[in-house]
Amino acid sequence: MRRPFLPPNFTALDAATVLVRWLLGGFFVYMGWQKALHPDLFQDLLREYHIVQNPFALNFIAISLPWFEVFCGLLLLAGIAVRGVALLLSAMLAVFTVVVLHRAAGLQAAEAIPFCSVKFDCGCGGGPEFICAKLTENVLMILAGVWLLAGRGRAFCALYALAP
Amino acid sequence: MGVAGLAFAFVANQLSPRGLNPSRNYHPGGEKPDPAPQTAKTPSVSLTTTNSRPPAASPDAALKERLEKNGLHLLPRDEVEKLFHDPRRQQDLLMFIDARDEDEYHQGHIPGAYEFYHYYPDKYLAEVLTPCQLAEQIIVYCAGGDCDDSESAALCLRDHGVPAAKLFVYGGGMTNWEAARLPVESGARDSGSIRNPAP
Repeated sequence: MRRPFLPPNFTALDAATVLVRWLLGGFFVYMGWQKALHPDLFQDLLREYHIVQNPFALNFIAISLPWFEVFCGLLLLAGIAVRGVALLLSAMLAVFTVVVLHRAAGLQAAEAIPFCSVKFDCGCGGGPEFICAKLTENVLMILAGVWLLAGRGRAFCALYALAP
Repeated sequence: MGVAGLAFAFVANQLSPRGLNPSRNYHPGGEKPDPAPQTAKTPSVSLTTTNSRPPAASPDAALKERLEKNGLHLLPRDEVEKLFHDPRRQQDLLMFIDARDEDEYHQGHIPGAYEFYHYYPDKYLAEVLTPCQLAEQIIVYCAGGDCDDSESAALCLRDHGVPAAKLFVYGGGMTNWEAARLPVESGARDSGSIRNPAP
């Protein structure tokens, strides 16, 4: 029997991909919004990384990154330029993961505790988290991005690709 | 898409009541200090090796040096406590300034302290600047530890014409104050809701 609200040949894999897209989009909207609500606190957390010291570069990151994440999350939820957004988010997540890992290693060395016991607020938007849980979350999100990059999940998209 | 995202971000920041000013240096004091180690830990290598580095200056000494570079002064808790009981405080000749955000201020601050969160100076300057001009001594504090909002707030006040000679930073901050079970006021300034009232 034909399902009137679903595209033709809509498989379980397509359904899972749509779900992944919505989850990834929702995740970025939430995380970005948490930071956008308190850009002052986000800027302060960025300073703890001691990577960017120029005050104007810090302002630029603290202003742009939270809203940029919200923007990309909304595009994913709506299904606009999906592969481009997935590529951007996966690349951003890869960089964040390396930076967070580096800071966690520093904290572990300073406090002489097991790596997975390191808990801190990485400025990701979710408050203080254990590093191993954070890294697992990031890897899963990168995998979700890569899955979307592979070209699946065209169903329920407003404008899957900007160029025809 | 990247350009569209950045444009969206800057417009949203402009419209947000909590948006930041891209051209302002929020921390003129410089890089954020590293937090002090919580406890002394057993060293994993012998301290008698010839390559061992000299011990770092104490966090207080480092903070004092950092503040003095900017013309500010560090106050330890015992002196802050004395100043808290100084009768000049009742006449606003001696004032306390809480440099933490609004939520933290309302949860508990040093009784009578003015609120001044330096990220949004326009919101607080009108109320704080006149008393600052009249006061003989101003003690600025934040949470303590690696928090440097007190230093940034003091520098912001200095940049708005408050003489640096009057500005003192209580490095231990609210954490240190509460640990000593000293009086804490919750809610608005002079709300009268005091925990650990002075005997």
